[in-house]
Amino acid sequence: MKRKKWLSLLSLMMVIALMITGCTTAEPVASEEPVVEEEIVVETVKIGAIFPLTGGAAATGVKLKYAVETAQEIINGEYPEIAFPMAENAGLENLDNAAIEFIFGDHQANPEIAKSETERLIQNEGVVGLVGCYHSSSTKPASATSERYMIPFVAGSSSSSALTERGLNYFVRIAPHDGMETEFFFEYLKNLNENYDADVKTVATVYIDNEYGVHANMMVDKWLEEVYGEEGFERILDVKYPSDASNVDTEVLKIKEAAPDIIFHASYINDMTMFANAYQLYEVQPKVVISYCGGFQDQQFLINLEDAANYYSGSNQTIPAIIAANEALSKANEIYKAKSGVDFDGPALEDFASAMVIAEAINMAGSTDGDAIMEVLKSEEFKAPYFATGKIKFGEDGQNEFSASAMTQIIGGEYQNVWPGEDTTSDPVVAFPDWSTR
Amino acid sequence: MIIQIIISGIIMGLIYGLVATGLTLTWGVLDIINFTHGEYLMISMYVSFWLYSLMNIDPLLSLPIVIIVMFIIGYLTYSIVVKNVINAPALSALLATFGLSLVFRNMAQFLWTPNARFITNSVLSGKKISIGSIIIGYPQLAAAIGSLVVIYAIYYFIEKTKVGKSIQATALDKNTAKLMGINTERVFGLTFAISGAAAGIAGGLLSTFYPVYPESGILYALIGFVIVALGGFGNIKGALYGGLIIGLSEAIGGYYLGTQFKYAIIFLIYLIVIQIKPKGLFGW
Repeated sequence: MKRKKWLSLLSLMMVIALMITGCTTAEPVASEEPVVEEEIVVETVKIGAIFPLTGGAAATGVKLKYAVETAQEIINGEYPEIAFPMAENAGLENLDNAAIEFIFGDHQANPEIAKSETERLIQNEGVVGLVGCYHSSSTKPASATSERYMIPFVAGSSSSSALTERGLNYFVRIAPHDGMETEFFFEYLKNLNENYDADVKTVATVYIDNEYGVHANMMVDKWLEEVYGEEGFERILDVKYPSDASNVDTEVLKIKEAAPDIIFHASYINDMTMFANAYQLYEVQPKVVISYCGGFQDQQFLINLEDAANYYSGSNQTIPAIIAANEALSKANEIYKAKSGVDFDGPALEDFASAMVIAEAINMAGSTDGDAIMEVLKSEEFKAPYFATGKIKFGEDGQNEFSASAMTQIIGGEYQNVWPGEDTTSDPVVAFPDWSTR
Repeated sequence: MIIQIIISGIIMGLIYGLVATGLTLTWGVLDIINFTHGEYLMISMYVSFWLYSLMNIDPLLSLPIVIIVMFIIGYLTYSIVVKNVINAPALSALLATFGLSLVFRNMAQFLWTPNARFITNSVLSGKKISIGSIIIGYPQLAAAIGSLVVIYAIYYFIEKTKVGKSIQATALDKNTAKLMGINTERVFGLTFAISGAAAGIAGGLLSTFYPVYPESGILYALIGFVIVALGGFGNIKGALYGGLIIGLSEAIGGYYLGTQFKYAIIFLIYLIVIQIKPKGLFGW
């Protein structure tokens, strides 16, 4: 009897296993049956949003979720006072004012989970588009999966340039990629040398051991070899550190020994803060520290470090001063701040933009068909009054051609826009003051 | 520079040693892998943080409160969760503590958000000793000295006191200890409580210089597991020396072979040692 029970249980498990296997390996197959056109009233359009909502990067992931929820609120509500596309009327006008619903997935900073979450959202939830994933290492498999299902993927803040070099047909990206950012950093450094007598030449790259960090470091190599090496810049050290670190003493002591003028950081908020603390402890004295799009941009960096956060810099889509100068963005920021407790930062604004753009593309297409949405994404120019450039246009490779950051620096306990253009809020401070005087 | 690297390695090694001490007790005495140990560390860091943030009690002064809280949490872990699975197959106890660790971690994220928090203005913050080119931060120094003192205190308690000897006897043979009149249930509960308190002290000391967030205990606990296996299950001396070996390997190996390999080096050492001495360096 007992044996029979076990056999029954085993059979049941095998059936379940087969069913699960059947579910996960199903590929989208073009149907040969003629499609019968039916008029379907769409009440809610579901879009997947995948972020690190638990795990080491959850602090950032949860803020990005709030940014997407802010976009959802603006799209589904009536906000005539916010001069953004999709804000005035409720829902998607061309789809009978259907509401947008973002269904969230949690990739826990794990590429494998990003892939399975993408499959879950497409197969189980029936999403017609995707946004995410912050970590480039997760965006890569997630967008490759969405490509298989011919579902459009709009990445907000993922920066690895490799993402738009894969020739995907259903992938676009809002943020500038790390190749563009690296060039921007070197141009900023040239500006410091030419206009502020900074005399900065030697570079150290400090980067996390994942897609984002490794690719950012490769871009430094590329730009030094192609352009900026000949202009006097020289890389003297690269420090790759594990994605989870109990301490960064060894890394910082290596940097101290090399004594670079400039440190390029490709880090996230927790490790960036640990590095900043260790720089202070070991009196590492660079002239310039510039961060790629993770870590420094999170206002928690300033909250945690207080005065010690001063003089760090990094590329950023926005800072509180830029938000205050833009009335519509200020109003959207109020909605975001009520959820998150902080102002929009660069990555949050980029993921907000990704949600706004995919919703607008669906509305313009008047359809939830992936090809129709991609046609709009690839051909149209989107108004983006929340960005300094004011518009978004995706190129052939899917990269936003109008993505542009400002160089920002924390000065006097506030993020300041220091370069380029006329909208700067402060001059840059070139050298870190001696730690003993701070 | 090498002296600075060695000092940094010793400091981290002592902290790892204290984390591993709590772990080695539960592993050695109850033969249970306690996956909640990293979360004990995290909870104690939060207790320190909130006492500092809400009541302005410095992490050093709040240590006694942290110890009591973690002692109770350790005891409750045993009496509510572990006690019921202790005689079940080993996998049950392992899954029970793993499940509890997820509950603690998700509760922390739910209650306190995933934001990393730092204690920036403790009496130790920003202070350091400089001897020539050698720099040692006060928070790190206090954590290292505190760890060494606590490891010795636990060692003394286990080796020299009557209660400690009953813990040793239970670890050696639970049934014989029972026959000798030792209340093994109480010993198990006490062991978990001491383990929690040890993690609590480590967490309280770490909170002065390490970010406090829901995942902050995971890596320390993982390294703690390696140290316990390296030093020998249930062996406090092994936890101390294992911690120092790991701390120094991480610092020196990371410096000379590449910082990206610093944890790979730890696991490589562990693999080599268990091939030569499967019960760990001080195991018996």
